[in-house]
Amino acid sequence: MSLLEIKKAYLKLDNKQILKGISLSVNAGEVHAIMGPNGSGKSTMSYMLAGRNGYELESGDILLNGDSLIEMAADERARSGLFLAFQYPVELPGVGGIAFLREAVNSRRKHLGKKELDHLAFVKEVRKVASEMFVKDEMLKRSVNVGFSGGEKKRFEILQMAMLKPTVSILDETDSGLDVDALKTVSDGVNSQRSDSNAIIVITHYQRLLDYIVPDYVHILSDGMIIKSGGPELAREVEKNGYAGIINAS
Amino acid sequence: MLLKQNNEYIHSIQNYVQAFEKNSFRHIASNDFSKWPSPLEETWRLSRLGKLTRKKIEPIHSDFKKNIRIKAKIKNAICLSFVDGAYREDLSDELPVGITLHQLNEKECLSFLSKIKKTNLANHPSTNSSLSCTPSIIKINVDAHFSSNRLIEIIYSGGMDNKSVHPVLYIELKKSSNLSIVERFNHSGTLIMPLQLIEIGELASLKSVKIFDDNKTTYNLSAHSVILSDKSNYNSFSLIKGSEFTRSETHAEFKGQHATMNLNGVYISGGDQHHDLTTAIYHNHPNCTSKQIVRGVLGGESTGVFQGKVRVAPDAQKTDGQQMSKVILVSDKASANAKPELEIYADDVVCAHGATVGELDDDELFYLNSRGIPLDKAREILIIAFLEDIITQSVDLSLQDFIYTEAKAGLLSILK
Repeated sequence: MSLLEIKKAYLKLDNKQILKGISLSVNAGEVHAIMGPNGSGKSTMSYMLAGRNGYELESGDILLNGDSLIEMAADERARSGLFLAFQYPVELPGVGGIAFLREAVNSRRKHLGKKELDHLAFVKEVRKVASEMFVKDEMLKRSVNVGFSGGEKKRFEILQMAMLKPTVSILDETDSGLDVDALKTVSDGVNSQRSDSNAIIVITHYQRLLDYIVPDYVHILSDGMIIKSGGPELAREVEKNGYAGIINAS
Repeated sequence: MLLKQNNEYIHSIQNYVQAFEKNSFRHIASNDFSKWPSPLEETWRLSRLGKLTRKKIEPIHSDFKKNIRIKAKIKNAICLSFVDGAYREDLSDELPVGITLHQLNEKECLSFLSKIKKTNLANHPSTNSSLSCTPSIIKINVDAHFSSNRLIEIIYSGGMDNKSVHPVLYIELKKSSNLSIVERFNHSGTLIMPLQLIEIGELASLKSVKIFDDNKTTYNLSAHSVILSDKSNYNSFSLIKGSEFTRSETHAEFKGQHATMNLNGVYISGGDQHHDLTTAIYHNHPNCTSKQIVRGVLGGESTGVFQGKVRVAPDAQKTDGQQMSKVILVSDKASANAKPELEIYADDVVCAHGATVGELDDDELFYLNSRGIPLDKAREILIIAFLEDIITQSVDLSLQDFIYTEAKAGLLSILK
């Protein structure tokens, strides 16, 4: 059984057909890259998977560990093991970083039938993980994402991923706005979480990120459809010939 | 359509007064009370008393033997208790040296009456009816230079269906004294009409927190008058969350220079509650500073009102008067009214006001949901964040946890 399966997903936004029958199977231990030009439906796909209001499927299904997600709200999908690292992480003025993380972790733990972590135990755990992600202690004390640089926001997303230990993670253009050093740090953080029991979907424009987070499969998304799938060499083909070449050939 | 006067209530006051003929000031007060405010009066246009005036109400007879369990909420506080509008010494703690409490005698009552009549609360319905019907006017006197790390917690409770309750409190802070008080209004019954006069002497400072948490069918019409002398400070924070209808009206006057005042408030409203924070600040002398920050959270079909008036007299140069109201609506049927009013007659002043009404941000809610946090909890987190700055600016660190707990309890009922 696949960890995540998208079955012929169709989705409209403002009466415009955005996703036109996407199907995808992601197994445990795999990293899949979704690449495509602007307007191909990449962000729509990530919001659709995460369960954002307004991004409901017209037809088709999404299965996580065999369970359909389409009747589940976003919070339930997250508690069930789905994680979305935002392209533009949202600022939460007045919401402290540690309190936010603890609330999220305890929601997931409760769902899994585990005991909630008390404040001291949690702070000890988060500081340990934060230092591995190069997230400074001072950042944890501030309001979530407020005043963070682009790189800091993305590192904080990956810290959340590390704390929540999701089954399937979707990284939505995690490389956007990052310099080479930040890209390497964020990629190291993602790679440290790859395991045989989880899977990662990396959504990106550029091949560059995939030099650091090497995928098992690459899919090209164009005009709401996956038009070509292959191994990591497909990303290099995009780098060499651009999307137009692949789209025209399909 | 004109409001029908509740003649039965007026007659009942007069009957009550006749039963206590020896207190002649009550006759004077009751003669002035002829009708409830009409919605045609500008300051009552947004808070209509029609439903109240159609009820059959009489003033309560305070039972000094009524046994009622009073539980203080603040650790180490000195607890004072008012039940059915009457001060209950048997249910109160002993005051420290430097603070005295006594019931005004007739001569002192007449003096008090004349002071109140000179304030802008003279025609407030609570002024006349409470002066007529209160079992006693209590004065708390704070000696010059008094200071303590213990605060006073005043609990107002009691009440009965179809009865009105009339606590009247006069607080005077003498020169260079400091006092912190927390007042909790926890009545049941139909109508509560608290009346207060606070005089803050030169260089004195009063920190006041008021929690309005009366029963959900109760009407609370509170009237407070505050007078500040030279270089004094008044820091007030009100949290309105209970009752069917609460109007907290404060008139504050600078009677000296270089004084400062913060009049901040939060209302948390749900169901068909109506919460009204009405203030009027009179800058009558130069070099004074006033600041008002109001936050509202409205759910259900509730309505929230903020009316903030700042009047700057011609000689009140170098006045700094700031006002800001922000409201979040968490349901489609809730509504908020903000009516800031600046009346400026001096020409060297800094005055500003602003008002916003909005909803919780969808992106912020989705971000929290996407981390597994359920919608109700996500709303609570964002609303507490919305209230954070006003709580941290208005309330001492030692009381902030208490205020967050009170606010969260209020939010719980409106976020279901």
